[in-house]
Amino acid sequence: MENIPEERIRHIHLVKVHDLTLSFPSAKGEPAKPVLDKLSFGIRDGEILGLIGNSGSGKSMTAYSIAGLLPANAKIEEGAIKFRGKDLLSMKPAERRKMLGSDIGMIFQEPASALDPLMKVGKSLEEILISHGIKDKAERYNRISDILSTVGFATPEKIYERYPHQLSGGQRQRILIAGALLLSPKLLICDEPTSSLDSVTTVAILDLLRKLCIDMKITILFISHDISAVKNFCDRVIVMKDGKIVESDTTEDILMRPKNPYTAELLTNARLDPRKLELTPAECDRTAEPVLSCKDVSAAYTASLWGRWDENRVLNGVDLDIYPAEIKGLIGSSGCGKTTLVKTLLGLMKSEGTINRKSDNTGAVFQDPVSCLNPSHTIMWHLKEALRPYKRQMSKEDIQVAIDNAIETVGLDRGYLNRRPGELSGGQRQRVAIAMCVITRPKLIIADEPFSSLDASSAAEILKLLAKINREHQVAILMITHNIHIVRAVCSTVAVMDAGKIAEDGTCDKVLNSPESDATKKLLEAENTLHS
Amino acid sequence: MKDPRSKSFYIAGFILLGIVLASFILSLIWTPYDPNATDPASKLMAPCAEHIFGTDNFGRDTFSRVMFASKYTIFISFAGVAIALLLGLLTGLPAGYYGGWTDRGIMLLSNSVMCFPGILLALVAVAVAGPSMFNVVWALGLVFAPTFARVTRVGTMEIKQRDYIMHAQVMKIPSPRIMALHILPNLVGTLLPATVIGLANMTLFESGMSYLGLGVQPPDASFGKLLADAQAYMTRAPWLIIFPALMLIIYILGLYFVSEGIRVRTQKGGV
Repeated sequence: MENIPEERIRHIHLVKVHDLTLSFPSAKGEPAKPVLDKLSFGIRDGEILGLIGNSGSGKSMTAYSIAGLLPANAKIEEGAIKFRGKDLLSMKPAERRKMLGSDIGMIFQEPASALDPLMKVGKSLEEILISHGIKDKAERYNRISDILSTVGFATPEKIYERYPHQLSGGQRQRILIAGALLLSPKLLICDEPTSSLDSVTTVAILDLLRKLCIDMKITILFISHDISAVKNFCDRVIVMKDGKIVESDTTEDILMRPKNPYTAELLTNARLDPRKLELTPAECDRTAEPVLSCKDVSAAYTASLWGRWDENRVLNGVDLDIYPAEIKGLIGSSGCGKTTLVKTLLGLMKSEGTINRKSDNTGAVFQDPVSCLNPSHTIMWHLKEALRPYKRQMSKEDIQVAIDNAIETVGLDRGYLNRRPGELSGGQRQRVAIAMCVITRPKLIIADEPFSSLDASSAAEILKLLAKINREHQVAILMITHNIHIVRAVCSTVAVMDAGKIAEDGTCDKVLNSPESDATKKLLEAENTLHS
Repeated sequence: MKDPRSKSFYIAGFILLGIVLASFILSLIWTPYDPNATDPASKLMAPCAEHIFGTDNFGRDTFSRVMFASKYTIFISFAGVAIALLLGLLTGLPAGYYGGWTDRGIMLLSNSVMCFPGILLALVAVAVAGPSMFNVVWALGLVFAPTFARVTRVGTMEIKQRDYIMHAQVMKIPSPRIMALHILPNLVGTLLPATVIGLANMTLFESGMSYLGLGVQPPDASFGKLLADAQAYMTRAPWLIIFPALMLIIYILGLYFVSEGIRVRTQKGGV
């Protein structure tokens, strides 16, 4: 407790949740398993409380219960939520709605979809004030300018005129924070606000939130599946599993002296500690002929606006070699061109320069487990479709054997073959996507941030799986990530990208321990602040 | 998540459609009188026990003729929509998938068709090719195709962005196969309500054309044709108008309810 600044200690609970039980009853009235099970905790006035747990642990539902944003089919079976002594659950919906914004603010995970793309940022923010009855135009403008400079924009008047697509992910998240703060709420609920941001931006956003917490006396409920984001940010942490609280203590005690084995496991997974996960960096023969080699690759997005050609050069002469059985990490802050490079390497985008592939057979695993599989078809169909180009050389039995092997390799049983993607969890879908690569026995798999939307436990499992496939099948893997832990754990070499170029390329040891380029130094610095 | 409203829409829709379909199926095996048999002795009879829907100016039984007309109305609407849907898919999928000049070319064509009032184009086509049921079917199919092309194109453009399509491209699956097997099944949710609404609109168009004398030719009949023939006797024999119009309303309303049920079921948000 001694690390909380004196002026912020006022031992009153701003929010008190008591015996909250929530479930999604099915239409037929069968008793459903509760999503939240007799949950009781308090949020102290002025503190930053972290709520962590794997996906499905009920942390978001807890937040939605407090904010009054539960889905229509959710049912609160019992319990009470008190906000400054008033019972929220017995309030009328209209009263409750009035509290949202002025007493309770909320920011979400995906800053891109939370802003209206057709509205200037200033106008979006003005809407909030208009709907809360502020009629004077000058006053609205002043309040918005003030709040924009509070969240760290040097020139609020310029930001006011921008559209969301003209801003970066971090800037958009700042705008959302500004929007949540406009009505100076007492409680700010942040639902995974940093999980779609790179580490440099994450550090900046967390710094900002902490500063606001002190300056504006705001209490923050911070939800995350990433323990490392919580580390230097929260005063207290609650660990959740299956709708129950596993452990709750000060951040330091949770991180240093976890009492519950589940918390300990979560911590291990979050650190991706190579020894605990039994991983070793891949070894490879760098004298062999590379499976993929690019020389001076450039690419650009072009668009014509009223006859004027607009060219946005994203790649500026990339040189990259990947050797057989190598796991190469590719890191860089967002917007540096990683995903564009993936598209060019996979032949999905036109590019200049030379790309030499040893074989045409390259597998790909993408970031988003939701859209990586076709919802209309079964897993069996997906695997058969992946084999289609080789169908002529294979008999029916061969295909069946290949499918069985692939599904076994990724650790799923045959029962999954007849399911559709909608019935699978994020981690399982990502496994199927990997099975679709493995089944064709590729020489190279390109994995574009395959972990970033998975929780720590699933991420660790998928990482282990990729490492295993690399060993057993001698497949080279190009792993794009913004998590340097992952690189340290499994990669033999790492390339750092900056502004469409490879800034640095070499063994992990060399690049991560004695970086030469500014880009690498900046990334490592942010990573240290986050994870030290 | 199932919306309870979708169920009531379905029930209402299928009951109404059931009435029309039952009369269609029954007309194939049995009608109370020969729908084309004239009987000068019982001209323009009001509804009575013998002729429950009355008779027309040739003494033909209206009840039998309404049953008989449902056959042509249902055939024309289904065949027309099938043609429109096929043309729409064949143009909309490549337009949305390839983009660029393919898209511009196809959309230019489809927009030029959409520039003209649909009924006018269909009338011109039938006037040139001669009035017959088959000409009505293909003319209406052509007129309705751009609507389906647009719905398909927009859906394709959206689904094209998903990772599983990118994945299919990486796996070197040929483009036509991607369109047919990877994209099309995901469009069913959008195309199904559009198809049902298309059936309703097609029926209305057909009625309009038959009304103008360019659709079904005598002695065959559709609901629209019956309405056109009854017009002259509107004041003396209103039953000639009321019963075909009622059947038309039941059919269209049934289709709308079914499409509304599908829409509520497949997407969130209400009427």
